[in-house]
Amino acid sequence: MIDGFAVELRQVVKKFGQVTAVDKVDLQIRDGEFFSMLGPSGCGKTTSLRMIAGFEMPTSGQVFIGGEPQGYLPPYQRPVNTVFQHYALFPHMSVYQNIAFGMEMQKVDKNEIQQRVGETLEMVHLSGMDNRRPKQLSGGQQQRVALARALVNRPKVLLLDEPLGALDLKLRKAMQVELKILQDQVGITFIYVTHDQEEALAMSDRIAVMNQGKVHQLGTPEEIYEAPANRFVADFIGESNFVPGVMQKMGPPAEISVTGTEQPIAVEWLEDGINAGDAVVVSVRPEKIRIHPMGQAPTYPAMCRLSGQVEKVIYLGTDTRYLVRLNEESAVVVRLQNIISGGGHFNEGEKVDIRWDSAHARVFKE
Amino acid sequence: MSAIIPETRASRMAHLKQRISNISLNFYGILGYLFLYTPIVIVVIFSFNDSRSTAQWAGFTTHWYVDMITDSQIIISLWNSLFVAIVSTIISTIIGTLAAMGMERYRFRGQLGMDALLYLPVIIPDIAMAIMLLLFFNLSGIGFEVWNVNIFGINLAVPYSVIIGHVAFNIAFVAIVVRARLSQMDRTLEEAAQDLYANTWETFRKVTLPMMMPGILGGALLAFTLSLDDFAITFFTSGAGFNTLPVRVFGMIKKGVTPKINAISTLMLAMSLILISFSLISRKRGGEDQSIEMF
Amino acid sequence: MREKLQRFPALRAWLLLLPATFWLIVFFMAPLVIVLVYSFLERGTYGGVVWNFTFENFQRVFDMLYFSTFLRSIYIALLTTIITLLIGYPLAYFIATRPPERRYTLVLALMIPFWTNFLIRTYAWLTLLRTNTGLINTMLMSWGIIHEPLPLFGNDFAIVLGLVYGWLPDMVLPIYAALDRLDFGLTEAAGDLYASGFPTFRRVIWPLSIPGVVAGAMLVFIPSLGAFVAPAILGGGKSLMIGNIISNQFLAAHDWPFGAALSTLMMTFMLAGTLIYFRAAKRGDAQ
Repeated sequence: MIDGFAVELRQVVKKFGQVTAVDKVDLQIRDGEFFSMLGPSGCGKTTSLRMIAGFEMPTSGQVFIGGEPQGYLPPYQRPVNTVFQHYALFPHMSVYQNIAFGMEMQKVDKNEIQQRVGETLEMVHLSGMDNRRPKQLSGGQQQRVALARALVNRPKVLLLDEPLGALDLKLRKAMQVELKILQDQVGITFIYVTHDQEEALAMSDRIAVMNQGKVHQLGTPEEIYEAPANRFVADFIGESNFVPGVMQKMGPPAEISVTGTEQPIAVEWLEDGINAGDAVVVSVRPEKIRIHPMGQAPTYPAMCRLSGQVEKVIYLGTDTRYLVRLNEESAVVVRLQNIISGGGHFNEGEKVDIRWDSAHARVFKE
Repeated sequence: MSAIIPETRASRMAHLKQRISNISLNFYGILGYLFLYTPIVIVVIFSFNDSRSTAQWAGFTTHWYVDMITDSQIIISLWNSLFVAIVSTIISTIIGTLAAMGMERYRFRGQLGMDALLYLPVIIPDIAMAIMLLLFFNLSGIGFEVWNVNIFGINLAVPYSVIIGHVAFNIAFVAIVVRARLSQMDRTLEEAAQDLYANTWETFRKVTLPMMMPGILGGALLAFTLSLDDFAITFFTSGAGFNTLPVRVFGMIKKGVTPKINAISTLMLAMSLILISFSLISRKRGGEDQSIEMF
Repeated sequence: MREKLQRFPALRAWLLLLPATFWLIVFFMAPLVIVLVYSFLERGTYGGVVWNFTFENFQRVFDMLYFSTFLRSIYIALLTTIITLLIGYPLAYFIATRPPERRYTLVLALMIPFWTNFLIRTYAWLTLLRTNTGLINTMLMSWGIIHEPLPLFGNDFAIVLGLVYGWLPDMVLPIYAALDRLDFGLTEAAGDLYASGFPTFRRVIWPLSIPGVVAGAMLVFIPSLGAFVAPAILGGGKSLMIGNIISNQFLAAHDWPFGAALSTLMMTFMLAGTLIYFRAAKRGDAQ
């Protein structure tokens, strides 16, 4: 391993006819990492995964596995294994035959096959299911067989293409935990493709957020949630308010005038390439905003304050959401935890002040 | 039955109307199946009639069956039928399966033309195909040589022309059935095999072929049935002196109706029933209910 | 070579298609071309052809003697298609509305006559319809219901009946397939929207089953127009269709070019029909 990366994509481009599915992607996936590729459908995440597996060949650029350039190597000559979205279990083979398939193709000794299949079945809690057919298994069990079938080959990297997508919510949550434990146990690099942001946040060491063939942000779940790099990431991961305004002063401290209000607000972080006078949006997470009766908000330095009127109150059990209208054009969602029972701290129609720490606001290009 | 108690006049009327329409539909269904089965059943019944008549019952006999199996001409034409069907089924199943894979798995220039070439023999009526082949064999001078075979001591002389003709119309039917199966097959299964270190050939042998098998068997059975059923193409391309069972039966019908023909018909019916059971078994193995796959 | 096959999938496709292409070009396209060519040649005295180019065969096709048979064949094929549809549609509807297990048995029960030799099915009607010794006339006369045998045989009635019987499963199966795909929840939705029995059928069920009806009509019309066995057996030598006239040119009249011309006309007619069908099907898909 020359560069210490399990998988590396260098300037990888994939075109299908006129459509560019993956556009000059650079990725470096560390050894032993749980790495996720997250994005809406059609963002290029599955195509990237398929290029690592060898099902698709890059139009240009190079895929490295364990430091080795893969070129046009077919899937069966690559040291990776895949867990498919709909499992792709061979319906004409038993669970045992499915799991043994890869080792048989590699001409592994019969006794060793038997031993390794047994161990792996135990690992995924399916001991004794050897002779079942895939059709006789539940969705969750099929999922485990697919995992076992890939892991038993001890690949350098395990590729998972939305493996939990077909399971119901409860099972999906349970499998998330199980997958994470399994990865710790086997110590293999996992590359996980999903469109489910919660899943990616819960499981990954690092996440690549993708859209339209490009990687928009690469970072830990916390970095991606707390410090989204651009408007797409802020919008796609979790919930964000976008308040339109105009860049007043580049600073520091930088200031923005929110459309429809007189008082400028201070901001700390700006997206690259913003100049004074540009139209921008200020992005704040709903739970980072505090809400006070009109005129009662305390003032601190680095605190942004705006006033508005409660338009809608939605009680959600753990918390309550307030839609606060600032002016004709913009409204902000505020989320308050229901620490005191009874909910309803503010009523619809009430005039309020809202405030947030300027460190929690991100400014993106309009 | 009467979980809902009709309360108002309107609901009583609606209930009544629905029952009437349901009963009449059932009645219609029974009539439909009677129409389909009565003629066949009557043919079978009169094959046991102890009289030359096929209209008046005169007691039970198996005389006509004895008559049938001691008629060496009928036995020879039965073997001719089976031989032609088996050979043409084997050839057309191989060619048709390869063609189905080529058509279903790849996109290439000229595919539409290939589609037309493959399916034209299905559209063209058998009488037209029969005279086409007749003129072709006549002009080219090939095909009328015979293939001499000896089956259980019976000498058969099968013209190649008949086999060639049967293969020509069966390729299309095999290709259609196999293609239908292939199009339903999940391509990721092959990717999974490749991912698990199976090379192209191993992937085909271990995954693609077993998955295609129900389609191939279905196609082969259809080809076999169509070959056994064929009258026109055999009749026109065989030259003099060669008979398959349908050709012989046609000749006999032209001379007159006898319960012996009923006996042969019953035999052919039994062969069809055996073929249907085979196709049912192969479909059960395939694991899916594709009862009308042949469309 | 292997590398090339991997890089150029079209090459692999053609390799797979090579045997079929060879067989169909030599034993199907070539014969087709021969028929086309022969239809423009002069007849030989004892069969065969004389290599002189002529339009005479096609002129003879439009001779009233033959052209009337051609028109009558179209009429018989159309009549067969319509009657098959009228009988087959309710039957398909009946099957599609039964519970699933019973549906399977009923479809299977359709397959049995479908897989039975056409010749036998035609022969069955011969034993029923024959004028003096047929089962129907014999029974009706012995019961004293009629005194003269009914003219059931050797006419268009017998041919149409034989064809309807022969091709009924071909009509029912595609209609059933279309109705089976149809979500009967839709009829409930229509009922919910105040449509009663017949409007539900006319506005919901019928339009959605049209693809099956069209496929069934094609499957019945094409072989009916080219019918040869049914008129030969049930027509009693008096009532003929175009298929019999074609075969006569080769079996008795030894006029091959004229037979070729008649076949050419018949095939053109069918290809045109099929093309119209595919066009319509494509348009249906596009909607």
